[in-house]
Amino acid sequence: MSKSALIGSGGEREGGPPPSRSTLLARLRKPWPDHRAERTLGAVSLLVCLCVLFMIAFVAARAWPTFEHNGLVWLGPGGSLGTQFENMLNAPSHPPASAYHVRAWTIIYGTLLVTGLAVLLALPLAVLCAIFIVELAPPALRRTMIRVVRLLASVPSVIWGLLGILVLVPFVLNHFITNAERTSLQSTVELTGAGLAVAVVLLTLMIAPIMIALICDALGAVPAAWREGAAALGVNRLRAIRAVTLRAVRPAIVAATVLATARALGEAIMISMVSGSIFFAPRPGDGVVFFFEPLRTLASTIVDNREGLGGAPALNSTLYACALLLLFSVFVLSVAGYLVKLPLRKYQVRG
Amino acid sequence: MRRIRRIAASLAAVTLIGSAVPAIASAASVITISGATASFPLVQALAHKYSKLLHNRVTFHISQGGAQIGVNDVAAGRVTIGDVSRDPLPTDPVGLDFYPIAKYAICIVTNKANPISSLSEAQVQAIFTGKDREWSQIPGAGVSGPIDLISRTSTAGVLTNFKSLFLANKSVSKLGAEKPSEGLLEQAVEGDHNAIGFLSNYRADQGTVNPVGFDGVGCTLANATSGQYVPVAKFYEVTKGRATGAAAKFISWITSSKAAKKIVSTEWIPV
Repeated sequence: MSKSALIGSGGEREGGPPPSRSTLLARLRKPWPDHRAERTLGAVSLLVCLCVLFMIAFVAARAWPTFEHNGLVWLGPGGSLGTQFENMLNAPSHPPASAYHVRAWTIIYGTLLVTGLAVLLALPLAVLCAIFIVELAPPALRRTMIRVVRLLASVPSVIWGLLGILVLVPFVLNHFITNAERTSLQSTVELTGAGLAVAVVLLTLMIAPIMIALICDALGAVPAAWREGAAALGVNRLRAIRAVTLRAVRPAIVAATVLATARALGEAIMISMVSGSIFFAPRPGDGVVFFFEPLRTLASTIVDNREGLGGAPALNSTLYACALLLLFSVFVLSVAGYLVKLPLRKYQVRG
Repeated sequence: MRRIRRIAASLAAVTLIGSAVPAIASAASVITISGATASFPLVQALAHKYSKLLHNRVTFHISQGGAQIGVNDVAAGRVTIGDVSRDPLPTDPVGLDFYPIAKYAICIVTNKANPISSLSEAQVQAIFTGKDREWSQIPGAGVSGPIDLISRTSTAGVLTNFKSLFLANKSVSKLGAEKPSEGLLEQAVEGDHNAIGFLSNYRADQGTVNPVGFDGVGCTLANATSGQYVPVAKFYEVTKGRATGAAAKFISWITSSKAAKKIVSTEWIPV
């Protein structure tokens, strides 16, 4: 009601056109009745849904041939993915079924590894930072820090990637990797500094500000009366934070984690720049060197091989399959986030 | 209401301008080009000169992406000309015409801390197929420790040429990192003392890495032009079917005019 009243008053101020003229333009200039505004906005949001559905259908259709030829073992381990990609590229324009052979576990494992470690690191960092900013920092510092965090959250990923290849990768190579380690692995994989560690550190720096900003907003929305109630019961500050405030924002923490994980899953350019650009699955059995071993993720595989899009049919289909898997994981993630939040609802600060 | 009207007015203005600009531009002809990153500096310089000579009656839209993108785009009719840095392949779409516009040398490059002057064909093959993994196995190496191979993604035109010119079409070892562009490969070699990779001569000459000679001949423009340096490949302009109209004129200008030849011979080798 309030909206239509507002539009109506605006229309009167403008002095609407004479009612005799009923051209399309004149009708549009008249104050919009509620039902027309509803329909228009409904149509727009329906269009957005249609776009998303069309995109999923398009990617799925393009990805279909590779799943048709490989089945679900597409997701499994087996053979050198590098050789498989080369075979797909060199196949003729109507490739035989054998040219579609792909076992993508290496890059799925790489994606899970990088994303998982980055989220595990970012979560405690973000929660502690947010508590400090909202609950403990003096107001002047709080305002500055919130601004800085927002700024950090919007840094384009290619900047992080540049920082990675120009600073972090040479630093890791020169200070953390010994020649003995490089020699011991020389017939398995090359250690060039680019790899798991740099990718995880940069990804953590990328997603933590997003989580901090979201958790800060939620902490700010916890009613002051709840904190005062805890204080009145004689609980000290830290305990009140743990027992009341943190409990109240748990759904927000879950939401922030889901958003950050989705961002981390889809990160392509930065990972492509700092992760070593090679099909390799880091082996935890190698000890500390594990963290310096190179890898590829689903998203960085698409970036690295983007020239193959639209070209060799088998490679094309495989890249679309990577994209489909990413879309699917983000969908699963948001459903899982919703399910996790359900039992936490009773503590939620905002409906 | 006022805001809605303002938005509508600005939308209308944008639409008008949007439709007017191509109308003005279509008075001149537009050549759209996409493709190889390696040939981009050359094509850009040629296009700039050509537009200037014709008083902007021809304008260019050039984008990079890679040789394969050039082939795909021109085959699908998305661009007038595709830039390609490798010879035609049997897997390319049928009906494409390849016009060679210049030749370029492919240089093996190492880190500046490892100023090897030359490698023999046997040494290059042993290194790039993963047989030799230690710099101590290579006489003249300035560093010790393992060899870090840096290669290009399998779609790269320069990689295709590298395999045929240096490795007798053997594959580069899968141990090597695969960089998606010349710039990233250059960066990787620059940042790692033990690295070895390959670049087009224009990139290798930028002073960031050490160009290595092949079979005793230095990888320089002079040696490549005189024919002493053998691993030389061609840049092509590719059209769908025979080149026609503005594209045909541009391509024949590149191959026949003195002005174009002058630009080509600054960093590359005329055909």
